[in-house]
Amino acid sequence: MYNKKIGLCAILAVLASNSAFAVSNSEINSLKKRLLKLEKQIEKRENKLLNNEFTRRDILSNEFNPSIGLILNGKYNTFSKRTSEMPGFGIGHEGERGSENFSLGESELNFSSNIDDKFFGSLTASIVREDGEDKIELEEAFVSTRPEFGLPTGMAIKAGRALWNLGYLNEHHAHTDDFANRPLPYRAFLNRAFNDDGAQISYILPTNFYAEIGGGSFRGDDFPFGNGDGVGSYSAYLRLGGDISQNQNFRIGASILSGEAKNAGRVNEENISFIGETDLYVADLRYNFSPTGNAKNQEITIQGEYFYRDETGKYESTEDATGKVNFDDNSSGWYVQTVYKFLPEFRIGARYSELNSPSTPVGLSGSHLDADSYDPKSYTAMIDWTNSEFSRVRLQYSHDELARNHHDNQFTLQYIMSLGAHTAHKY
Amino acid sequence: MKIKILIITIFFSFSSYANEKAYIFTCEPEWKALADEIGGKNIESFSATNDKQDPHHIRAKPSLIAKIGKADLLICTGADLEIGWLPLLLEKGSREIQIGKIGNLMTTDFVETIEKPETIDRSDGDVHPHGNPHIHLDPYNILTIAGEINKRLKIIDPENAKNYQNNHDNFVRKWKKSIKIWENKARKLKNIKIISHHKSFSYLFKWLNINEIATLEPKPGINPTPKYLKKILELVRNNNDIKYIIRAPHDRENASNWLAKKSNIKELALPFTNGKNNANLFILFDNIILKLLRNL
Repeated sequence: MYNKKIGLCAILAVLASNSAFAVSNSEINSLKKRLLKLEKQIEKRENKLLNNEFTRRDILSNEFNPSIGLILNGKYNTFSKRTSEMPGFGIGHEGERGSENFSLGESELNFSSNIDDKFFGSLTASIVREDGEDKIELEEAFVSTRPEFGLPTGMAIKAGRALWNLGYLNEHHAHTDDFANRPLPYRAFLNRAFNDDGAQISYILPTNFYAEIGGGSFRGDDFPFGNGDGVGSYSAYLRLGGDISQNQNFRIGASILSGEAKNAGRVNEENISFIGETDLYVADLRYNFSPTGNAKNQEITIQGEYFYRDETGKYESTEDATGKVNFDDNSSGWYVQTVYKFLPEFRIGARYSELNSPSTPVGLSGSHLDADSYDPKSYTAMIDWTNSEFSRVRLQYSHDELARNHHDNQFTLQYIMSLGAHTAHKY
Repeated sequence: MKIKILIITIFFSFSSYANEKAYIFTCEPEWKALADEIGGKNIESFSATNDKQDPHHIRAKPSLIAKIGKADLLICTGADLEIGWLPLLLEKGSREIQIGKIGNLMTTDFVETIEKPETIDRSDGDVHPHGNPHIHLDPYNILTIAGEINKRLKIIDPENAKNYQNNHDNFVRKWKKSIKIWENKARKLKNIKIISHHKSFSYLFKWLNINEIATLEPKPGINPTPKYLKKILELVRNNNDIKYIIRAPHDRENASNWLAKKSNIKELALPFTNGKNNANLFILFDNIILKLLRNL
C-alpha cells in the first residue's frame, strides 16, 4: 500500500515534471528569441549612440545633400516718365530704376551646406534679364570657417564672392528688403550692392554687449572700383548693439570701403568712366520695437544709413566728348525708413532717400556728369501682405525727383516667394 | 593713441573673463527653469525668449549674438522650432556648443515627439517634420530632460558634479511626488472636450487625457480665417459639451474672443511657459491645472 503510493507519486511526479519541462522548453525558446531580438535592438541603439553621443536625431541620407532654396521674385512696374536719369552720379546698370510692365526680378537659386566640421559653403546664382537676354549672375559663391575650425570663439573667415559686411543693407539678399527697390545711396554708390571677389575676417568681441569688428580685402573689380583690372580694395567695419528694454533692440555701425581703379576704371552704360581713388564711408542704424512684446504680431523697425564718397581721379563722358577731366570732390547720400507690422500678415512702410551731388568741374559742365547743383530725392511708401514665412506680395508707390523738374511717379506690384530650404534671416 | 587705449580698456573692462560659473544659454524659459533646478547656484542661466514671445518668431538680435559666445551649454527645443534664428547664433558660438557636441542639447532629440506629419508639404502650414516641438508640458518629458541636463553639467563642470547630482535627485523626487498630486487632481479633466488656438498644449492634453477636438488655426501657424472659424462654430454647435477655448498668452485673442462670444464657451489663456507669475516649473504646472479645474 505504502509502496504503491510512493510509486504512484513517483509516476505522477515524473509526469508532472515532464509536462513542466515541456512547457518551459517552448517558453525558453520564445524567451531566447525575444532576448536575441532585444540584444539586436540594444546593439543598434548603442551603435547609434557611439556614432553620435549627444544627439539622437536620425540622419537621413538626403540630409547630406546641400540644402536648396529658390526665390521667385516678379514685378509689375508703371512709371509716369519715360526716362529716369541721375545726372552727376554716373550710376551703374543695377542702380537704374528697372523696366516697365511685367518683369522678373532676380530669381535666386541657393545651395548651401556644411562642407565638413570646419567649413561651410554657399552659392547663390541669380537669373536676371539684361538686354533682352536671360543671364546667370553669380551673386555669391563663398566658403567660410565654422566654429570648429579652431579660431577664437566669434571669429570667422569668409572667402570667395559674397555680399560683404558694409553698412546695413549690403549683406542682405534683395528678397529680404522691405521695399521693392534699394534706396538712392545704394543705387548711386554701390550699384545696388558690393559683392566683389575677396576675403573677409570678422570677430565678435568677448564683451557683454554686442561688438563686432571686421575687414576685408578684395580684387577691386566691382562697382565703385575698376572693371577687370583689379588693383585691389579693402574694407573695415565696427558694429555695436544691444537691448534697450525687453521689447527694444538696436544696432549701429560704421564702415569704410576704399580702393583704386587704374587702367580700365568704372564704366557705365552711358559711357561715363572714372579712373582713380574712391573712399566710401558708411554709418548705419537699425532699431526694432515690438509694442506687445511679441514681434510675431506687431513690430516697428526704423533703419537709416548715411554715405559719404570721396573721389580723386579723372572722369570722362565719351558720349559728351568731355575728355579726361580731373576730379577731386565728394558727394553724400542718406535714407531713413520705417516699417510697421500692424497685423501678423500686414506691414506698411515709408522711406525717404536723398543724394547730395558734388560740384561740377568746368570740363564736365553740360555733360551727363553735370548735376547742375541739383540733389536727387525719392519718396517711397509700401504696403505688403505676408501669407506665410514663404510668400509676400507688395504694392509700392515711389515719387522720384532725380533731376531738376523731373517728377516720376512709380507704382510697383511685387511678389516674393521662397521654395525649399530657407535660411534664417539676419538681424 | 590715447583714444585707442581708452577703447581697449573699455572693451576689456566689460568683457567676461572673470565669469567662473558655467553659462547656460537656453532658447525658452522652461529650459532655463529646468537648468536652474539642476544647476542651482553653480550656474548662470539666460533665456533668449520670454513668456510673451512666440519662440518661432524672434530675431537673431545683437544681444543674443553677444551672449551665445559665452555659452558653455545650449539648451533649446530643436525640431525646427528655432530654425529662423538659432542657426545664425550657432555660427557665432564656441565649438563646444555645435550640433552633436556636449554643449548642444536639443530636448526634442531625447523624447518621443507626437503629431509627426505623414506627408511633408508646405501647403499644410508650418509643418514640423520632426513632430510637435512643444514637449515640455508632459511632466515625464521634464524628468528625461532633467537627467540629460545633469549628465551634461557634470561633464562640463566636473568640480560641481556632486552638487548637480544632488540637485537632480532632489528635483526628481519632488517632481515625481508632484506628478502624482497633479494626476490625482486632474482626474476630473479626463475626457473633457476643448478647442485650442494652436497645437501648443498637445503634450499636456495627451498626459491628462483631454480631448482636443479642433484648433482655431486652420493649419499650424496659419492665422484663423473667418471662413474656417464659421466651420468651427458649426462644429461647436453640434457638440454641446465643449468646456474651453484654450490659447497660449502669446496667441492673438480675437479668434477665441469671437468664438467664445458666439458660443458661450469659456475661453482660457493657459500659462504656457515660465514667466513672472510662473517662477518655476512646479508653479507653472500647479497654475495650469488649477486654471483648468477652477473654471470647470
